[in-house]
Formats: sequence, structure tokens, C-alpha cells
Amino acid sequence: MIVRLKTKLLAGFMLLASLLIVAGTISVLEFIKLSSSFSSLLNNNYKSIEASKRMLEALEREDSGILLLLLGEWEKGRSILEEADSSFQSSFETAKNNITEDNEQQLISAIHEQYNAYKARWINPIVYTRKQGDISWYHNSLHKEFLEIKLVINELMSINQNSLYNKTSTLQINAQRAVMPGIIAILGAVVFLVMLNFYIRKQFVEPLKQIKTAVKKHAKGDSMISSGINSKDEFKELEVEINQMLHRIQKPDEKN
Amino acid sequence: MRTEVILKILGVVLLFNAFFLLISLLISLYYKESSVTPLLFTTLICLIFGLFPMVFSGKHQTLSFSEGIVVVVSGWLLACFVGMLPYVMWGTEFTLINAWFESVSGFTTTGSTVLHDVEALPKGLLFWRSATHWIGGVGVIIFVLLILPHAKNARITLLNAEMSELSKSNFHFKTRTTIQILVIVYVGLTLAETVLLKLAGMDWFDGVNHAFATIATGGFSTKNNSVAYFNSSHIEVIIMVFMLISGMHFGLLFGTITGSRFNIFRSKVVRAYVVVILAGILLVAAKLYTNNFYGWIDALRYASFQVISVGTTTGFATADTAFWPVFTQMIIIYFTIQCAMTGSTSGGLKFDRVYLFMKSVKKQVNLIRHPHGVFSLKMDGFRISEQLERQTMLFIVLYVFTFFMTTLLLSLLDIDLKTAFSASITTLGNVGPGFGNVSSLGNFDSLPAIAKFILTISMLLGRLEIYSIIALFTVSRH
Repeated sequence: MIVRLKTKLLAGFMLLASLLIVAGTISVLEFIKLSSSFSSLLNNNYKSIEASKRMLEALEREDSGILLLLLGEWEKGRSILEEADSSFQSSFETAKNNITEDNEQQLISAIHEQYNAYKARWINPIVYTRKQGDISWYHNSLHKEFLEIKLVINELMSINQNSLYNKTSTLQINAQRAVMPGIIAILGAVVFLVMLNFYIRKQFVEPLKQIKTAVKKHAKGDSMISSGINSKDEFKELEVEINQMLHRIQKPDEKN
Repeated sequence: MRTEVILKILGVVLLFNAFFLLISLLISLYYKESSVTPLLFTTLICLIFGLFPMVFSGKHQTLSFSEGIVVVVSGWLLACFVGMLPYVMWGTEFTLINAWFESVSGFTTTGSTVLHDVEALPKGLLFWRSATHWIGGVGVIIFVLLILPHAKNARITLLNAEMSELSKSNFHFKTRTTIQILVIVYVGLTLAETVLLKLAGMDWFDGVNHAFATIATGGFSTKNNSVAYFNSSHIEVIIMVFMLISGMHFGLLFGTITGSRFNIFRSKVVRAYVVVILAGILLVAAKLYTNNFYGWIDALRYASFQVISVGTTTGFATADTAFWPVFTQMIIIYFTIQCAMTGSTSGGLKFDRVYLFMKSVKKQVNLIRHPHGVFSLKMDGFRISEQLERQTMLFIVLYVFTFFMTTLLLSLLDIDLKTAFSASITTLGNVGPGFGNVSSLGNFDSLPAIAKFILTISMLLGRLEIYSIIALFTVSRH
């Protein structure tokens, strides 16, 4: 069966192209996966960590507000408490609407419950009541609850931080998986081109040289050309054609 | 040297690997695992580079011995190279050197691992890991020979380059028949063990993987605690029997099945091999019992499994021999040096050479006593030529020299003597586990990257029986 040179070359380039296309597709798909993982990291964990931080900050401010009330600074204390409460509520809403991890729902419910109980204690008047200046009341009930809420918020932050760490490790692996096909495809393409160069030399350049040598020999007196080409392609056909042409040229000479 | 002929046969090696990669890929797809991309990409690489030389090369009937040597050595290297690609692409514990180590360990059927958590690997990769054992067990090139229908001369040359002269004894057939026997026995044993392991309680996946590793005398398990994980005496007995059988000459196994007079029951070498293993088991069991490690039953159970596992170069484990008495460790080290029989799937020095060495020593003693006497060496009724005797003795010297050099290089990297010594001998013998930091339930990850690379060379030298590698460097280009 004659395999055309065009077919051979085309097959070679098709194989190279398929390698590059597959490597490119895999890399692109992996990078898409990677970028979606990045956005999920930001959406899922980072938001909750930031909300937890803001809740802790608001709680600290509320604690300061309560201390001011205990000292009889009604106006200043109330303004700090209202501002901190509003900040806490908005951060809590963010955390509540961003539940992504196991146990996160239970922690949110616990924060909600404990914060309401805590707020119920300071929402009632403190200034000009028996509570004003009562440090043991503050220490035994308010401060205790304040610490308990902080503990739950810290736990919420911790599970999101752990998840963030694990996802970052996975991202690192995914990044490597996205890059590796590209690197291997580049190396593969280099090896492929070296091989292609070898075959082009073997299948195209060498037969041409063989035909050139055979034609030169003919010029020096050989009746037919024999290049020694074994391939079943256009070069073999060319040798046969040249021989037939020489045969046709020689025939009229013989007749003469 | 005809590069196009070599490239075409190497292409067939790649296509054969692609077949097993494709099965691994299908497993990965079935279980929806993260190893789909690495396996898919490696399969395509193998297909592309396997098919490419076929587009340009015609049919070739002949192959010179030099070309045969180049095909065999580069075939093994190429298989190890493509074998590591899925690992490298999958990542995690697989750094570049770890992936290379795991791949070479797989193909050379050594079974040493760098993985701490084998069970974390996706099933597709676990299957590929076991498949490297199975492909390498009978020899990367042997399967290629089976599918080279037109090249009779090339087949003979490649078989000569792939198998040692001693391995070819007991194969009293034409080249093609010899290859067919090898493959039939290999596939038959694998199927039989898989079914028996399933009946003993393993699932199909673990059964196939452990059968691949047993028949190839490899040792990769799908579990972190190797065969100890299953804690089943039935499974241990099945694996022990198949390890012992796989360590025997395949020609003799075929003869036993077909009722030929060349069978395992009539072979003196097989008898000696079994007797030495039994003696090893009894010595180890007695020491374990007297040192109050186990009762008699357990001492025999663990001793027989470990001795057969190491004595056949498989490397499975049911106990951590690093904690056993020094005497038992010395016995196990002896079996690491001795290895299994020629003509089997094992690598390393091989029992037949030790047997021939002992006979040669006896012959020399006789020559001292009777200087004018004529003494010829025979193994299983076949006369061993002076040339084969010389070759065998030289091989033993080369083997010891290679082992010594590897130990020396490892000690240069400040690795302790016990680890360096046992890592060198276990990789050269394609056994798997050693002692020190590389014990039967440990792994090779703690070694420096250069040490791992040196050990992979040791594995390849053990698998290719040193001569092929030396011959490669003496091959003329024309």
C-alpha cells in the first residue's frame, strides 16, 4: 500500500496538534476549576471570618459601653452601645447568610441566642438604678456572658479558618495539576519535533539525495537509475517514473 | 543502528502501556476520581508517541543484537518514564523524584514505596501502580514480542537481550512458543489468584491488585499495612502459595501443568529452592518463639509469610521485621541476596546462580583433589557449558560489586549503615522492604532525593541483570 508523503506529514502534525489541543484544554479546564475555587474561598470562608472579626470588635465596644454606663456616663455609654449593636447585627446577618461548613448553623443559632440574652441585660436602664457602680453584678453576670459569646464567635472563626487552610492546600495541588499537563505537553512537543525532524530527514531529504546520486551516476553512463529507496511513497514512484522516462528515451536510440 | 526500527518497537511498548492506562482511566471515571486528568493525558501521550513511528516506518524483519539491547534498555526506561507521568500530574506525595522512584519500583517489581498513605491514592492510580508490576513482572518487552507477528528474527534477538542464558534453560521450545508459555502461565496464575482472593474475602479490586503484585513478585499493596491489613490466614496462605509458585521457573510450571517430564517435582533446583526456604522458615520461627515474640502457631505464620515474601522477592508484609531479633533479620537478608529462580518473574541474583556457584565450588575442590580429572556441571540433567559457568561467576562478582558501590554511595549521603546496606541489597534484588528506616512496614521517603535516584538505578540494574546495561555502553553505532 502506498502511503502518500502528504498523508504521513499530515498524520504527524495531526498527532502533535492533538497533543497540544488536549494539553491546552486540560489546562484551561483546570484553571477554570482553580478560579472558581478561588471565588468559593472568598465567598464561603473569608466573608464569615471577616464577619466574626467585626462581631468580636462590636462586642468589645459594647463591653466598653456597659462600663461607661456603670460609671454613670449615660449618653456616651448608650451611643456606643447602639452603634456597636447595629454593627454586630449587620455582621451577624452576613455570617447567617453565609453558612458553608458543617456545624456552622448550630454556632450561628448559639450566637443568636446568647447575644439576645446578653443584650436583654444591658438594654434595661443601668444609670440611676441599683446597678450603677455595681462591679460584682457586671463581673458575675454580664462579663461572663460576654466571654461565652466571644468563645462561640471564635469557634465560628476557627472552623472557617481551618476550612480556608484546607482549601488553600487543595488549591495548591489543583494549581500543580493545572500546570503539569502544559509542562509535559511542551516537553512532549519538543521530543515530537526532534522525532519529526528525524523522520523528515530520513523520509524526505535522504531519498532526494539518493535520487540525486543515482541521476549523477546515470549521467556518467549507467543505463538505469537505482537509488535504493525502499519506501512505498512518491519518492519510489519518482524513481520508477525516471526509469520509465529513461527507458522511453533510450528506445528511439536503440531503434536508430 | 537503525533508529527508526528501534523507535517503532518502543512505540509498541508505549501502546501496551496505553492499554493498561486506559483501564486505569476507566476505573477513575467509574469512581469519579481526581486522577482522571493525569491518566487521560498519559494515555494520550502513550498513544500519540506509540502511533507516530508507525506512520513513518515500514515492516522490519530483522534486528541486530546491538539494536535489541538498545530496545530492551530504552524500553524499560521509557516505560518507567511514562509510568511516572500520572503520579507527577496527580501531585500530593509525588514529587518528581518520588514519582520516578515509585514508577521504577513498580516496573522492576521491587515494590519499595515512598508513600506514607497509600490508601489516599485514587483507585485508578492504585490500579496503575499495580499494573506497572504486572507489565514489568514478565518483562516490558515480552508482551511486545507477542504482538510482533512478522518479525521472527527480531523476536529471537529481543528475547536473547531480555532473558539471561540461564533463564532460557528449561524452555525447550521455539522462541514464539516460549513467549506464549510465559504469557499463558502468567495470565493463568493471575486469574487463579484473583478468584481465590475474592473467595477468601477480598473485594474484586483488592483481589486483582494483590494478584498482580503477587504473580509479578512485586509487593505493592492497596493498603498502608500491606497484607497485614486483612488479618486473614486464608488470604495469607493463598498469597504465600502463589508467591512461592511465582518464584519458580515458568517453563517448569508449564511442564507440570501439561504433564511434561520437565516439571517442578523432578527438578533438583526447585527441590533445593523449597528446602532452603523451609529451613529459613523453621529457623526464623524457632528464634521468634524462643525470644517470646509469638506462640508456635503465630511464629510459624509470620515467619513463613515473611521468608516466602522476601525469598521470592515479592515484599508483602504481615509483620514489621524491623523489630524482630537480629538473627531472624540476618536470615531474611540472606533471602534478599539469594532471590527466587531464573525463568520466574523475580529479579536480582537468583537462586539458580547460587546453586550453580555451590556446584562450581564443589567442582573446583574436585579439581584440586584430581588435577587431571574432567568434571562437568549439570543442572536438572542439562550440562552447563564452561562459558555459562564463567558468565554466572562473573555475574555474581558484578552483583556484589554493584551492591557494594550502592552502599558506599548511600553512606556518602550520611545514611546509616543498616539502612544503606539493606536498601542497596533490597533494591538490587528487586525485593522491596529492607531494615532500618526502610523496613517492611516503613518506606523510602525519608531518604534524600539523590539516594532515591541511586536506588532506582540499582533496581534497574537488578531487573536487567547488569549485563544488558553494560552491553548498552559497548554497543556500536553502526
